Amino acid sequence: MSTNLHQAGVKLLKQLGRHADLVMDVYLSGSVPEGGENAAAIEKLRKSEILWRPEPDQELRLKRSVRAVLEEALSDERNRQIDSNVGSSLASIKTLAGHYKEARQNVDYSASEAYLADLNEHVYSFAEGLRYSIRVLWSRINNEFGYVGTINAKIRENELAQSQVTELLNGLEMFQFSELGEIAGDIRELRKLLVTSLQETLSDCTQELSVVQGRLLELLGRFRQIRGRTRLLKGWLLYTDLHPDYTPVDHVSHKQLPTLFNRAEAILAPAAVDVHNTGYEPELLDIVSRIKAIARTNHDPHLRDHDVSVSLSQAEDFDIPDNPLKLAVDEYFCSVIDSGRSQSALEYLDEQELPWERESWLYQVICGYEGLPEEHRHYFELEPIGEPDPVYTGNFIIRDVELWLA
Amino acid sequence: MSEMTETAIVGTGAIIERLLKGEFICRTTDEEAWRSLKNSATKERVETYLNQINRTIGSAGEGEVFFCGYLQLGDEERKVVSSQFRDICNALIPLVEWLVLVQESSGQDAPLSEGAAVRLTELQTRIEDTPAFREQLAKISHYRLFGSTSSNVDNQIKLVFKRLVELGYLTRPNTEKQIFIATGKLDYLYEVIRFIDETEGLSLEAQAETATQRDLV
Repeated sequence: MSTNLHQAGVKLLKQLGRHADLVMDVYLSGSVPEGGENAAAIEKLRKSEILWRPEPDQELRLKRSVRAVLEEALSDERNRQIDSNVGSSLASIKTLAGHYKEARQNVDYSASEAYLADLNEHVYSFAEGLRYSIRVLWSRINNEFGYVGTINAKIRENELAQSQVTELLNGLEMFQFSELGEIAGDIRELRKLLVTSLQETLSDCTQELSVVQGRLLELLGRFRQIRGRTRLLKGWLLYTDLHPDYTPVDHVSHKQLPTLFNRAEAILAPAAVDVHNTGYEPELLDIVSRIKAIARTNHDPHLRDHDVSVSLSQAEDFDIPDNPLKLAVDEYFCSVIDSGRSQSALEYLDEQELPWERESWLYQVICGYEGLPEEHRHYFELEPIGEPDPVYTGNFIIRDVELWLA
Repeated sequence: MSEMTETAIVGTGAIIERLLKGEFICRTTDEEAWRSLKNSATKERVETYLNQINRTIGSAGEGEVFFCGYLQLGDEERKVVSSQFRDICNALIPLVEWLVLVQESSGQDAPLSEGAAVRLTELQTRIEDTPAFREQLAKISHYRLFGSTSSNVDNQIKLVFKRLVELGYLTRPNTEKQIFIATGKLDYLYEVIRFIDETEGLSLEAQAETATQRDLV
């Protein structure tokens, strides 16, 4: 029997795969008309009950369970439903437990195994469904109902979520653990399933749902506050429009000043000398007399014989004259090429009796090397000459650099 | 005094200065100072200092924003408080109109509140593209509070924003960018309106609700 089931299942899944594009189209658009190019494929899917017709004159829609699989797998929040009907799951579980016990009593092992497997499936899928609903609620909370546009819509969605949570909680209350214990009796498998695992699931979920409820209320409060602000401002404008002569009552003349309006004036403010105050005249004149013009240039101001007009014209091209230090480094490089042998920078410096400081020279050589274009740098190698630091290991003190032809 | 560390003394000094300059301290404008004032020990130290010059720490919005008030109210103090109150009442219409304009042109759920950012260039584009918004902006910028004499959207909007920064309702964290952040002083403003609404029984929210419902009909 199970091989038939297996085969049928594989066939169905393959069908879904073959017509994946069509299925996704229907998922996104909601429904599909029959006929058209895909008529054959649509008919096949309808036969396998992947597509169904809710009412005689309506278009075909995607089956609820297939839609749910896609919604969850694709993390698509928009349409997710929460199944708050707990009672029917409970009834099914009780019924199956009854079948199982009877089969056991009649020593019908194959039947009892089948019922137990079914019961397991029911309990687990019930638990899964519950957890799924809780996840959906959390994702809506975390998203702050961002999948709808206006604040009013968010408030409505929030209120819907709250009613769903209440329904779920009420349903969970219906599970009398004592009743389950009675149904399970002494049978180990049943006790494990109904009393241990189911009970745990139920108390976890109940706890989490209470937390969810609290957060929903918090969010609702916040939404209302936000909506309140918009209304407050709009209301103010409406009111002042309707009553153009309105001014707020003088709330600060009461003996008891509301803290909101108790604002002191600033006593630290930008200050400046009052040059219009005649009382300060002697001090101000004194300050002015001490003002000196300080010129830090060494040149005397140059007086032209006649005015030179200033005109805006195109700036001429100009060249920046090369730094003599840089030129000397270039010459050092050239001399190494010409002689064909390596030479240390300081050696060259001493040989040529150049006027530069030893450290500046070294840095300029290093700069010059690093600044060479890639192709030219290939021809050289710059080796540091030095020794490791006697005290601080890992440091290498460079005394000199040597330029080699690569 | 000897228990306070150097940094603590420097810190409270900065807070006291800001308060005495008439500034509002909120998390957006000065997070460090704001956190210090949330600490009761620091708050007490600042309070003790201020008391000596007849000042006290005032707050709004459940400690979301702090400002400086008077400890005892003599005649002079009442005069100051009156003038502050008149100033804020005169500013209400221009500010509320501006807040509503920003909310409508950016299609937001809610008006600006502390920490919300406004990108000036985006807002400007949206206003420029809609005649109704351009008119609103022109009206707002010509109020005495902002004092614009220009008929050009760019000038008007830049002046309004500049004034709002000066008045302390917005802050501009990076002068190279045109991004402005709403400060706690805006939340203070909402509280003022709510206070007036409740005390005078204006039922502003209810009026707005019926108005929108009328529009829908």
